[in-house]
Amino acid sequence: MASSHTTTKKDDKPAAETKPEQQPAAEQKAAPLEEDDEFEDFPVDNWEQEDTEAASGGDATQHLWEESWDDDDTSDDFSAQLKEELKKVEASKKR
Amino acid sequence: MEFNTRFFQEFADACSKQDGPQLARTLSPDIPTEELREICNSQNAHDIKRVLKRGLQGSAALVGGLGQQEVQGWVEIYTTYWNAARTILVARESSDDRRQSSQSDLVWTKVYAAWTELLNVLLRGYQNNGIEAWTLPCMYVVCKHLRLFAMEADEERNNSSSVDESAAPSLQDDFNPETNKRQKLEDCARVLSRVFTACQSDRAPLEESRKWGSYYLANLLLKTYFKLNSTSLSKNIMNSLFAGGKDMPDLSAFPKSQQVTFKYHQGVLAFLEENYVAAEQHLTDAWNNCHKDAVRNKERILTYLIPCRLIKDHMLPTEKLLAQYPRLQKLFLPICRCIKRGELHNFDLALQEGEDELVKRRIYLTLERGRDLALRNLLRKVFIARGFEEAKEGEKPARRSRVPVTEFAAAISLGSQERIDNDEVECLLANMIYKNHMKGYISRQHGIVVLSKSGAFPGTGV
Repeated sequence: MASSHTTTKKDDKPAAETKPEQQPAAEQKAAPLEEDDEFEDFPVDNWEQEDTEAASGGDATQHLWEESWDDDDTSDDFSAQLKEELKKVEASKKR
Repeated sequence: MEFNTRFFQEFADACSKQDGPQLARTLSPDIPTEELREICNSQNAHDIKRVLKRGLQGSAALVGGLGQQEVQGWVEIYTTYWNAARTILVARESSDDRRQSSQSDLVWTKVYAAWTELLNVLLRGYQNNGIEAWTLPCMYVVCKHLRLFAMEADEERNNSSSVDESAAPSLQDDFNPETNKRQKLEDCARVLSRVFTACQSDRAPLEESRKWGSYYLANLLLKTYFKLNSTSLSKNIMNSLFAGGKDMPDLSAFPKSQQVTFKYHQGVLAFLEENYVAAEQHLTDAWNNCHKDAVRNKERILTYLIPCRLIKDHMLPTEKLLAQYPRLQKLFLPICRCIKRGELHNFDLALQEGEDELVKRRIYLTLERGRDLALRNLLRKVFIARGFEEAKEGEKPARRSRVPVTEFAAAISLGSQERIDNDEVECLLANMIYKNHMKGYISRQHGIVVLSKSGAFPGTGV
């Protein structure tokens, strides 16, 4: 695949606009993967408890996590649609 | 650092204070090119050993307690360092004018070889010359850069060999381009694992044992194995650390940077084995102890902690949490919203949308299991929308607990607008009941689901 890619690039050479456009796109795609998958070295070796995430409020689970279901949100489009649909089903049964 | 009077003083100073990090700085390759050039030019290959020996003996005399053997060890180490420094200088200079000479040598491969030699000599210093464990930061700095040089060498080779790429496969039948791409990094993993063993197996009393280097080395190895995609080798490291038993100091006695890095890798490993209980524990430890300003690392921890908590505890990250990490927000927010609202079809679309990124991070399959929660929430909405039975006097109104299968079917196909037949719906419902997301039974005869009057959807308040 790699070789076919390079050959098409070579063929495209006269079209000057396509080349610079293609390259950054490929770079951007590759860059995050390399940089993402590795845990970084910390700039310091050790730190006090007060500098930890837990001490700075990250441990307060109620801010960070919530239940996976939702009751308040019955006014959104989807809920309205759902109610409509259920009414239809009920009506068709009565007939 | 140039091998002059200042250097020998610095060496003596670090030794008298037993300041490992200070000593380690004298072995760092991470210095300005100008400084590197001074080091290289300050000596020649003929004299360097003599100069170092005389100088370091002088330092030893200042400090006291530094034996002949040890001094000899350091002479060898700094000589090898000087050799390596020269290759680094060449490499840096040739990368600077790469434009002029496109067909340059594999300079980083030479750096890697020279630096491997430095590590070997250093290791011998510990094993044969009695170099003490307080100097372990020297080992760290050399190991850390060995890995970086290995990656540099691999990249350089991969870039330069593209010309004769077509010729290579024909030379060997079992040519594997993937392995070849990571050649030096794989070699580096083998070297580092020897160093790890040398730390681990040190039998000296704990306070002066190289065992204190185990976690630093373990972390470097884990990073390397992750990059090489070798989880089985990662497992070996874990096992050998835990086999150390009582002899091994507890992880909590190590610097926080080492604790957090180790816990992250331990968590991700458990995650990949689908052991979400252990994964959540390790990742939460990593999260809690992580430095509050290490945003990128916190982001990496959350990348795995979020799917973990979703599957294990049925908990979602709040929008507030995600808002602090734009990358994660993009990755998770659409999926989380769909789960929460029970939008089954949109959940499928959101998962599809993020597929590439999610697969790359190896969380796709775990998140896919979130579909059950989306479905549960959808069924739950049907149940709630149906309202209450007419209340008997003096009693609390009860929800209408007999739901026609057709209503569930209508809800399920609402998003996609695709009709699905009742058998399939019943299958989905049976699954929900089996997984304890829903309590009740299906009465096929009547085409209804009879839901439990006390907690039809366990853990969700109805």
